[in-house]
Amino acid sequence: MACAPNRVRLLCMLSLTFGFFIVEVVVSRITSSLAMLSDSFHMLSDVIALVVALVAVRFAEQTQSTNKNTFGWIRAEVIGALVNAVFLTALCFTIILEAIERFTEPHEIEQPDVVIGVGAAGLLVNLLGLCLFHGHAGGGGHGHSHGGHGHSHGGHKKHKNGKVRRSETLEDSRSTGEETNNLVGNHNNSPNGVNPDRRRAGKSEMCHSDNLDLQINGSAPYEEFENGHDSASQLNMRGVFLHVLGDALGSVIVVINAIIFLFVWKPCKPGTVCENPCVGQHCAAHLFNVSSASNNGTNVAGPCWVLYLDPTLCIIMVCILLYTTYPLLKESALILLQTVPKQIDIHKLNSRLRDLEGVLAVHELHIWQLAGSRIIATAHIKCHDPTSYMDVAKRIKDFFHDEGIHATTIQPEFVTMNSESRASLCELSCRTQCAPKLCCGAADTVKPPDGALEPKKPCESRTPTVPSASATSLEIISESVEDTSRPESIVIITREVESSL
Amino acid sequence: MLPLSIKDDEYKPAKFNLFVKLSGWFRSILADKTSRNLFFFLCLNLSFAFVELMYGIWSNSLGLISDSFHMFFDCTALLAGLAASVISRWRSNDSFSYGYVRAEVLAGFVNGLFLIFTAFFIFSEGVERALEPPDVHHERLLPVSIAGLLVNLVGIFVFQHGGHGHSHDGEGHGHSHSLFNGSVGHGHSHGGHGHSHESKHGHDHGHDHGHSHGGHGHLHDEPHCHDDHSHTPGKGSSKQILQGVFLHIVADTLGSVGVIISAILMQKYDLMIADPICSMLIALLIGVSVVPLLRESIGILMQRTPPSLDHALPECYQRVQQLQGVYNLQEPHFWTLCTDVYIGTLKLLVAPDADSRWILSQTHNIFTQVGVRQLYVQVDVAAM
Repeated sequence: MACAPNRVRLLCMLSLTFGFFIVEVVVSRITSSLAMLSDSFHMLSDVIALVVALVAVRFAEQTQSTNKNTFGWIRAEVIGALVNAVFLTALCFTIILEAIERFTEPHEIEQPDVVIGVGAAGLLVNLLGLCLFHGHAGGGGHGHSHGGHGHSHGGHKKHKNGKVRRSETLEDSRSTGEETNNLVGNHNNSPNGVNPDRRRAGKSEMCHSDNLDLQINGSAPYEEFENGHDSASQLNMRGVFLHVLGDALGSVIVVINAIIFLFVWKPCKPGTVCENPCVGQHCAAHLFNVSSASNNGTNVAGPCWVLYLDPTLCIIMVCILLYTTYPLLKESALILLQTVPKQIDIHKLNSRLRDLEGVLAVHELHIWQLAGSRIIATAHIKCHDPTSYMDVAKRIKDFFHDEGIHATTIQPEFVTMNSESRASLCELSCRTQCAPKLCCGAADTVKPPDGALEPKKPCESRTPTVPSASATSLEIISESVEDTSRPESIVIITREVESSL
Repeated sequence: MLPLSIKDDEYKPAKFNLFVKLSGWFRSILADKTSRNLFFFLCLNLSFAFVELMYGIWSNSLGLISDSFHMFFDCTALLAGLAASVISRWRSNDSFSYGYVRAEVLAGFVNGLFLIFTAFFIFSEGVERALEPPDVHHERLLPVSIAGLLVNLVGIFVFQHGGHGHSHDGEGHGHSHSLFNGSVGHGHSHGGHGHSHESKHGHDHGHDHGHSHGGHGHLHDEPHCHDDHSHTPGKGSSKQILQGVFLHIVADTLGSVGVIISAILMQKYDLMIADPICSMLIALLIGVSVVPLLRESIGILMQRTPPSLDHALPECYQRVQQLQGVYNLQEPHFWTLCTDVYIGTLKLLVAPDADSRWILSQTHNIFTQVGVRQLYVQVDVAAM
């Protein structure tokens, strides 16, 4: 099972489930059982969940950046997982509604033997699905990562098997390869134009050069890419698994209910005078009727609690489902909200970053998770001057690599005067007018941990910067004008104007 | 030296946090116009649902009971929108370095998903009822659906009014011209959100998203301006939420209209088939009209390049590459954090003798002009 790609499994399960859906619809028409029809719609919702997961997997295979999606489509898996989780939650609500309906108006099951048969078949299908997906959702990720295809694989072989993971790692390795190249001074990197297409699959010559770089730089960090992609697809598969689990539980309930009904319920035989005290009346009244009826000798339909078993079991199932779906929902929602990944302590990271040699200050550090373990970080780093910058840059990159963050963009800012008091200010901070647009609050790490800020520090305040503060930063830039060429003064002035637009 | 006074407050135990939190949330809700509207409409909907529930229990009509549950389900959409509008105003912290602003995109997306699910559900019920028509009690149906229609008309009025206010302020035209141009045509129905209930299954919830709210639909002709100077903070950020909520309300409204129409058809012409057909049509309409919202939210969540910058960015790249000393521009990534907030990263390959500071400020300048305020430019010096 470890080698079967997700797509094949999903397609398998999809065809099975769809076939079963058709069967259920046909059976429901034959037996004219409404319950069967509604159950078939539950199957249809399962089919839809599988389709969503399949679409997500399909999309996420295109991990190369395109013109519009510069990060590739890898987030599709997270979105697929969220869609499935939301869908499951909505389904649970619907089931609760139906169960409450059943409480107020209990129904008998017609032809319980047919229901048992179909329910058992559905259970089989779902158990098969559970087996298919459980192996993957639980520990399948590890199975994939040690196949050695994390590192040093050759060109972009179009293996159906490992295609998903290989294209992913190739893309990652390419990006890291470039970064490393840039760090060490670009001696073997041919200048690539602004060409988002260059990451398209099939450029095997680039793959080769990157592989060389891969081998130079060691392969330890790349295992995380394997796990990264797998953990992203794991999220997706977890969603599918939960959906199939819900369906399996539903089938179990149907079968149990039908069996109990078959053996315990004494139905009203057609043709005999018979009272059915359970349908259409409140349960309290039923006791009197039963006693009076049995005294009279007429037939009475079987114990009423049987009719209430179905909704009760349904509610239990809903509780189980909600309990298992909630972590998936939370996790995918947190990724989509651009949170800092939970294994990273941004505060400590920031302080360690500041402790690096040559780093004067760190602004606007943002770390977020693209999908799986692909983590992206951006920051402004303030350092002394451009000549020392390349060393500092290398150290910073290594630092992030050690943390497991491989896609970083570091913007350098250079101190123009030697006063240390200005060291923490942002050189290129936005002016007052775009503070509302910053929207994320420009959460600088120099601020105190509980978030209380004085409005005086321009880079660190969330509120629109006080004009005095912006004037201070303007001072810094204008003082640097005399060091740099003439266009900068125009730049500053024009920038002020444009910011006010 | 002894202190002159001792403030005892510091030593008192902290007050019960929940109450403080709740009141804090209340204040936050009431502060912003959008969330205020959402809150009041949520209260209105909730009370109507309760009334319906009580009436259904009292008159022992299953249809009414189940329909009130459906209204509760609708209220969850409103609740999600409200929660998102409150959450997105929270401050950023260690876990959420960008703050919580993405919550609104997520809320819009989740609302869209719920709507699609509801459409699917209605469709399936329509099919069921077409195959096995239950007996429909229309006497109780009509007054309740008309009442529901009125409630939803109120909602439409409230949110449309707010929405237009937004759009004419210049908000929201940053992006998605292309997305919404084609989708506004679907059923501009502002009918009513009603709930039809039959005795058995009871819910014919129509949700129609004909009217794409948030100003998108109305801004076809406006020029592509990227700098929203009249933009007030907070309004842009609730666009997604409002859109989702509005679509929900309109869908409900259309359901009411559908119920009323089918009730009339059934009473006058005794066309029993009208009801399921109506619900199926409504479900289709809902599904179709929720697509723009979903597409936009998915685009944002997938870190797609902002659609409004699609044309401007290549030009910017060219300008940056023409700067003196810049060899190359690599790995540009631009994405939307939330409405109108764009974040970008790129890497520049520069000559060893180039003036990094000047290049940096120029680059920032160039991109600020198109509206990207948060830019991270990595400068890599080519070793020659």
